[in-house]
Amino acid sequence: MTGFSRLTRVEAKLLLRDPGALFSMIIPLFILVVFGSGASRGDTVLPSMAMTIGVGLVGLYMVPTALATYRERGILRRMSTTPVSPGALLSVQLVLQLLYAALASALLVAVSVLIFQAAQPARLVAMTATFLLGTTAVFAIGLLIASIATSGRAANGVGVLLYFPLAFLGGLMQPKEAMPELLATIGEFTPLGLFRQAIHDAWSGAATQPILLATMAAYALVVGLVAARFFRWE
Amino acid sequence: MAGRAIRGGGWAAQAWGMAVIEVRDLSKRYGGVQVVDGVSFSVEEGEIFGILGPNGAGKTTTVECAEGLRRPDSGSIRVLGLDPVKDRRELSHRVGVQLQESLLPENIKVWEALDLYASFYRAPKDWRALLDEWGLADKRDARFSKLSGGQKQRLFIALALVGDPKVAFLDELTTGLDPAARRVTWELIKRVRAAGVTVVLVSHFMDEVEELCDRVAVFDRGRIVAMDTPSGLISAVDADQQLRFRPLAPVDDATLARVPGVVSVTRTGDRVIVTGRGDFAGAVTSALARDHIPVAELRVERHTLDDAFVALTGRNLDTQES
Repeated sequence: MTGFSRLTRVEAKLLLRDPGALFSMIIPLFILVVFGSGASRGDTVLPSMAMTIGVGLVGLYMVPTALATYRERGILRRMSTTPVSPGALLSVQLVLQLLYAALASALLVAVSVLIFQAAQPARLVAMTATFLLGTTAVFAIGLLIASIATSGRAANGVGVLLYFPLAFLGGLMQPKEAMPELLATIGEFTPLGLFRQAIHDAWSGAATQPILLATMAAYALVVGLVAARFFRWE
Repeated sequence: MAGRAIRGGGWAAQAWGMAVIEVRDLSKRYGGVQVVDGVSFSVEEGEIFGILGPNGAGKTTTVECAEGLRRPDSGSIRVLGLDPVKDRRELSHRVGVQLQESLLPENIKVWEALDLYASFYRAPKDWRALLDEWGLADKRDARFSKLSGGQKQRLFIALALVGDPKVAFLDELTTGLDPAARRVTWELIKRVRAAGVTVVLVSHFMDEVEELCDRVAVFDRGRIVAMDTPSGLISAVDADQQLRFRPLAPVDDATLARVPGVVSVTRTGDRVIVTGRGDFAGAVTSALARDHIPVAELRVERHTLDDAFVALTGRNLDTQES
């Protein structure tokens, strides 16, 4: 087996051993269970919120903590003395975290539809595309946190600190209708707000709003480039 | 092409006596501080070469330039005939590295780490054999975070060797270990050399360098202040030594003071302490024998590498720790 596939296998095992991974998978399901009984048949609002929470936890909490810890523990430096570059380790990490977020989201869709009688996703392809674009945008922010944080612990702290206001503005703590209009409008264009709304549009079958997708792409590109520019290997 | 480069390096090295590492006029600055300042040395095949000095002397930076982790500001480095910056990928197949401050993920198991690192190399060693050799067989399935300091260190050395390197760079490998674990590690390092691997050992422990190294470069403030065998460094110390004994017959201090090389003669209780330089100790014992004065508890206080370091740098190595 080549170094790259071995690396993927070991990193996947390490990801699954991380208690944070279980947390990111359980919390959205927990939200569904707690609030699901109050939701009406054919609901798409609550499951969209729950999926956004899951992606937010992976992107803002797991990604930066994993990357900053790898740097802090000198694992990236150690890798750069071997024939395999530390860039390979980072790529494998990001792809695995993306797969993990996809797995958690797929589980959430299945539980929503099968157990809580939520509506079946109206446009599955659009939803998948939205998921990939939105998750990339959220991961870009996670990467930026990893770039500026001095340690794994700091990255974890910044991630949690950033998560709550973003979740609030993104309408994950209360329906955005319950928010002051200005805040709701601002919130709509925060990364988690965009993700929630765009996923909801695809799930419910509402018209795709190109402005939301374009803004997510802009986040992914701009924040991703800034993060890559400032990323420190040691 | 790569094989050719090595052969070329070997050819050139033969002319200078089989050097596997050649460093010439290496300099490196960080933010206005000259960390390494014109360092030159060569390491020959099969030796354990020590790089000794206090923290901040430029030891680690020098070694990291040779490993290709850092780009020198000026000077040239060849390791196995390769340029560590330009030929970094190729060189990484042939050298093993243990970094000073590098850990593994907490939840990785010992066998997973070895299996993973083995997969990075063209022609790795059998990591199962390394497990046995480094006394980690019963820790095969243990997670990294559950290992003791000594076990972690042995795993790092095993990881440095898993690519079957020609040269191993080991940086501060016994820091944080208890005396017994250090002794064990030293024996293992001797075995690494016996297996034909050239070892570059960065250390700030005198006893470690004295025990293991064939030759030592003493670093201070970014420069090499001396380079010799440990015993060569010690014998070059030009400072007073002491000879102590308990005379069993009366001794005339003035007679002893006239012996060549003796600086002073003092007494504490029933002990005579003769201070001197050079080969005064031999001269004093022959003078005692000539006068038929038997002595007991004769002790010569040898210089140590610590004394050599103080003599070279004017400072004590331990007081530089901070």
